[in-house]
Amino acid sequence: MKISTKKKSDIIFTEIILIIMSFIFVLPLILALTMSLQPAQSVFSFPPKFFPTGFHWQNYLVAFRTVPFGRLLLNSTIVAIMVTIGKLITGTLAGYAFANFKFFGKNFGFSFLFATLFLPAELIMIVPLFSIMAKFGWVNTYWALTIPFMASATNTFILRQHFLMIPKELEDSAKIDGAGPMAYFIKILLPLSKSMIGGVSIINFIYAWNFYLWPLIITMEDRMKTVQVGVKMLIDAEGASNWGVIMAGTVSAVIPTLIVFFILQPLFVKSLTRSGIKG
Amino acid sequence: MKKWTPYLLLVPTFIIIVLFIYIPAGFSLNTSLYRVLPFGRGMQFIGIRNFTRLFTNADYIYSVKFTIVYVVITVSITILLSFLIATQLIKKVPGVRLFRTLIFAPYAVSPAIAGALWTFMLNPVVGHISYFFQRTFGIQVEWLTSKPHAFYAIVFASVWKILPFDMIFYIASIQNVPGEMLESARIEGAGVMQRTWKIIFPLVSPITFYLVIMNIVTTMFSSFAIIDVMTKGGPGQFTTNMIYRMYLDGFYFQKQGVASAQSIILIAVMIVVTLIYFKFGEQHVHYQ
Amino acid sequence: MKKLIFVIFLITIFLASSVAMAADKIEVQFWHAMGGWRIELLQEMANDFMALHPDINVDVQYTGSYGDTINKLNVAIQSDVAPHVVQGYDIATQMLIDGEVAVPMQDLIDADPDFDIGTFMPQVLNYYRVNGKLYCMPFNSSNAVMFYNKSLFEKAGLDPNKPPKTYAELYEYSKKLTTKDDKGNVEQAGVCWNLHCWFFEQFMAGQNAGLVDNDNGRTARPTKAIFNSEEGLKVFNMWNDLSKEGYMINTKVHDWTGSRNLFISQKVAMLITSTSDVALMVKSAKENNFELGSAFLPVPADAESGGTVIGGGSLWMVAGKPEAETKAAWEFVKFMAQSAQQIKWHTGTGYFPVRKDAVEDLLAQGYYSESPHNLTTIMQLLLSTQNYNSSGATIGAFAEVRNAVESNVQKMLNGDLTPEEALAAAEKECTQAIRDYEGL
Repeated sequence: MKISTKKKSDIIFTEIILIIMSFIFVLPLILALTMSLQPAQSVFSFPPKFFPTGFHWQNYLVAFRTVPFGRLLLNSTIVAIMVTIGKLITGTLAGYAFANFKFFGKNFGFSFLFATLFLPAELIMIVPLFSIMAKFGWVNTYWALTIPFMASATNTFILRQHFLMIPKELEDSAKIDGAGPMAYFIKILLPLSKSMIGGVSIINFIYAWNFYLWPLIITMEDRMKTVQVGVKMLIDAEGASNWGVIMAGTVSAVIPTLIVFFILQPLFVKSLTRSGIKG
Repeated sequence: MKKWTPYLLLVPTFIIIVLFIYIPAGFSLNTSLYRVLPFGRGMQFIGIRNFTRLFTNADYIYSVKFTIVYVVITVSITILLSFLIATQLIKKVPGVRLFRTLIFAPYAVSPAIAGALWTFMLNPVVGHISYFFQRTFGIQVEWLTSKPHAFYAIVFASVWKILPFDMIFYIASIQNVPGEMLESARIEGAGVMQRTWKIIFPLVSPITFYLVIMNIVTTMFSSFAIIDVMTKGGPGQFTTNMIYRMYLDGFYFQKQGVASAQSIILIAVMIVVTLIYFKFGEQHVHYQ
Repeated sequence: MKKLIFVIFLITIFLASSVAMAADKIEVQFWHAMGGWRIELLQEMANDFMALHPDINVDVQYTGSYGDTINKLNVAIQSDVAPHVVQGYDIATQMLIDGEVAVPMQDLIDADPDFDIGTFMPQVLNYYRVNGKLYCMPFNSSNAVMFYNKSLFEKAGLDPNKPPKTYAELYEYSKKLTTKDDKGNVEQAGVCWNLHCWFFEQFMAGQNAGLVDNDNGRTARPTKAIFNSEEGLKVFNMWNDLSKEGYMINTKVHDWTGSRNLFISQKVAMLITSTSDVALMVKSAKENNFELGSAFLPVPADAESGGTVIGGGSLWMVAGKPEAETKAAWEFVKFMAQSAQQIKWHTGTGYFPVRKDAVEDLLAQGYYSESPHNLTTIMQLLLSTQNYNSSGATIGAFAEVRNAVESNVQKMLNGDLTPEEALAAAEKECTQAIRDYEGL
């Protein structure tokens, strides 16, 4: 239901709340944008500036020169897309298995997968995972950056939830027509899940886009690093950094995710409506 | 062949989680029984000594208590606030799509960067928020270095980061509440507040159920980045929760065995909480 | 026909060998923690080196902050993919030694008649020598220095050419320099330094006091912390007194940027920070129209004459590499330690040149007359009394020690503990950390 707001005061009330909330939520990013357009000496001033007083776009040039941002953005894009695709594949297959089949060990398998949510990934796996990567010869490769993350409990559950809401009649009539389970999966189930897949993709993409610690450790060349590491490269922990340049890097790292969100947004919002994760 | 189908479908997922999650985790957790020397030069078996030391360490006990408080407060605020905002974001008002994008922005920013930005704004003297407070209320607050403000700052930054995720799910599910129900309630004289809390909220409880557990996990596991950037666990370990302690011990002090012991305790706590939650929560969820 | 085949054969051999020779470059991997514009500078220096040594390829890689770099090194060593040269930070020194990660520089120096370690400044060498052995090559060293705002001094009626030298003077000056509004909020404070144990260490060294036993861990492994002493208490009291009244603004832990920010915005009149900030301060003072002054760190009036402790990082050579690579890496390290490179590094970043001849060259070039603040910093270093206390402590569990001190300082500043209690608690926690590390 879309609540139709007839009363003008209702509309105004809602607008005000939304404006205030949006402002609070996007505040730090506005600041980042502002700082990215200030030259080094006026980044800090008192009273603190909120809106840019200049348009010092050179910061972006410096950021892109200091760190191979172009290349890093490319890496992050590749990694994020690969992880997203990987998660979608494993998630849809596993979700399908848990939603549409009865089999021995189903509950155990489900819990086994669910339990991975409890393992604080980046914190406890780094050393042994690195050894495994070294043994596979995957250090400093895209494989190492993507494959360990291609399975996901969250994805599996969301998709399972969605599949559970697809009426069983569809599956039955497919069987009558002689279609095997994989044919049903590819020809019927997936197309019906398009918007859900779109939605889950956003989450996966952004999650992979924000990786910092693992790419830092597993890459051995500057040109294999990802964009979050790149932003860190602009910061010098003790020495005086140019915060305008750092923010330029930050903005460059954040914009792609917002673009992805804006584009995929309608899919996402509509999709959850059909998933049964509802009231 | 058909009998094997479900198993085959699960093969990719299970290969990955066993090979890249469970095996490394196993190795790591194993080190909790050892004293690991720097740079892996050696490991000395010390049994459960890491665990006993933790349980008798006042700072560790504090971090457990703090974690509970922090998680409960953060998750509660996030759920309630995201629900309320979602009720506004489903209305057909001008610019709603833009508002949704702006409110979603925090999710797109990595915790470290978010923490850095908040730190600037909360600088006690030259930060934007401090300046605002000083001009409006005439008070000067040391946001990140005093109690209890450091706690508020951390909670605020955490809520800020997680809320957009919840909001999206709520938007979708509120749209599923049958309009007629609300109409008839309105006709019978129920006010906005009653309609919201007595009808809509209970009807979206399945999604609330799911979001609460997701939020607990997210709050636990990604808070260390925010804490590290904003308060470094201070002042005086005031804002040090279990995950930040683990981070310090494992990554800063290079005490791998101790960090692994802490992860085991953390995992155990999570499992217990989840079990209780599922048992208790199921009763309160309304399915249509 | 046979001749043709033979010629083709020869050409092939020739091409193959030239390809093989081109591919015969020795690979040296260098990991560092320098961010920002320093990345370019290091790459330039590496390029200069490669121009001189066409048979060696140096791969320069940024590996995160100092802490991140150590973590990455930790992981890499355990999987045999460690680099050849890595930049380690000061407090990781003992841990790196204990990890038996590196080829001690001393061994390489002894085997190389061309290299004269005597040209290096003893102040710097003493930090990285443990038990008489030099383990790493000093590279980017810094100290703590006090900058002050001469314009604000004048406004407050203080002589801009007489910075405070004792704790008492620091307190008095800060009092005069603090202004508050009618609600009691601090508008401008006297002094600031970010909440970092490093400053505590500097204040102790300045009084010739040590942090841990066994000569600050230098003649034997430390067994306990000893800074709960008269000198330690003076530091804590000074810190607490300044903060209580609002004469000092305290930042969050390790907030270098925050403290610089306050000084540049003229919200504090005195800033204690790293010597590598000189260039930034000179520029900022000009931008913001105030006159910049610099001075040594204050010491208590009755203190024993002490020194300042080196901070920053150094270059470590990882052991276990093939001999050719180790030799190449050594050439690279030597190159980076040469006077010309040290001068380039110093002028580009603000870290000290670690050699006497570099300082001499800079002096001759008139550098110090043009740059009075760099003169302050080098003088403070050179005038520092050399003993175990000013050499800095060698503690395996240094990271934990610093954390314990910082945590208790925060508790003190928040009023939870008195200075005495905080100092005692810190010492106790540090001793425990040391004992854990040493396995006692």
